[in-house]
Amino acid sequence: MEVKLKVFRYNPEDDEGKHFDTFTLEAEPTDRVLDLLEQVKNYVDGTLTFRRSCAHGVCGSDAIRINGVNRLACKVLVQDLKSKTVKIEPILGLEVEKDLVVDMEPFFRHYKSVLPYFVNDDPPPMKERLQSPEERSRFDDTTKCILCASCTTSCPSFWINEEYVGPSAIVNAHRFIYDSRDQAAAERLEILNDQFGVYRCHTIFNCTDACPREIEVTKAVGEVKKAIATGRLE
Amino acid sequence: MQSRKVPQPGWNLEYTMWMFTRLSGLALPVLGLIGITAALVMGARTQMDLGTLMRWTFFPNVSHVTSSNIPDYVPWGGAFWQIMQIMIAFFGFTHGFNGLRVVAEDYTNPGFWQVFWRGIIFLVWLFSLLAVIFVIINS
Repeated sequence: MEVKLKVFRYNPEDDEGKHFDTFTLEAEPTDRVLDLLEQVKNYVDGTLTFRRSCAHGVCGSDAIRINGVNRLACKVLVQDLKSKTVKIEPILGLEVEKDLVVDMEPFFRHYKSVLPYFVNDDPPPMKERLQSPEERSRFDDTTKCILCASCTTSCPSFWINEEYVGPSAIVNAHRFIYDSRDQAAAERLEILNDQFGVYRCHTIFNCTDACPREIEVTKAVGEVKKAIATGRLE
Repeated sequence: MQSRKVPQPGWNLEYTMWMFTRLSGLALPVLGLIGITAALVMGARTQMDLGTLMRWTFFPNVSHVTSSNIPDYVPWGGAFWQIMQIMIAFFGFTHGFNGLRVVAEDYTNPGFWQVFWRGIIFLVWLFSLLAVIFVIINS
């Protein structure tokens, strides 16, 4: 089948500015959008720049906007797109460096700000820090985050104001706040109890729709708000 | 699985207004229910039309029932209903103006413009509230 690939282009080193290039390609229905981008880069225009690593939905490096919604290029099949014209753009809210590559620094700065690591100052036991299956299942959903930034860059609050910590950082805070072995929940809640913390979330669910790992992002944000309000981790 | 307690973060404007928005959102329909229930008990079912009853429900001011067939306006006025009106105005205005503040702060960073919009919204909220209290007390 014939597919028209309309790709956002930007090279800070030339005078063309931000524009779209259209490529007409032959594709199988089972091809992924990443395969189309690879076809362009390998056979048509080697200057096309995008991130990719594992190409199997695990590393999260190829998050882009496909026909207006955030998706991983390696997880979307041509046959699942409603149109034979595929519009490809970089994710929104982060500065474009070249073509589909954006500056991820603000995203990771927010991620680091919520202490996204295990904190427990008790002396380590001889074997392991025990946790029941029920306690582990409490934060199972938010362990699935691959830091692709699809959720944060689908959030209008983040588009408007880059200071907003963003849904991804809150998801990663949730993962440790609800971990029964962790001891820094209060610090994380204090960080998120801020003008640019959880209160910029207006529950529009774009993040939940965008997440390629099907994490219930808005629900996790709501649970963090509830923990701040009640002082209980249920 | 037992719930765990965690020290609550300190109060700040965002947290206070976030809580207030939820509580006022609950308070407004409760106040409306009190208004409509009291109106029905005081004879609204046979003495006023639906439009008048709705006006009273959302703002229980005696001037809203003067065009109805109520024979005696005394139970519809008085301090209790004035306090109810002030509460409805306070919860409604504060809820709404806080919504405006949130929208303004979505689009501004801390600094001059944020302080400017906060100030404007606060002044308009204060003026509106004082004006409505003046009208309630003198009606």
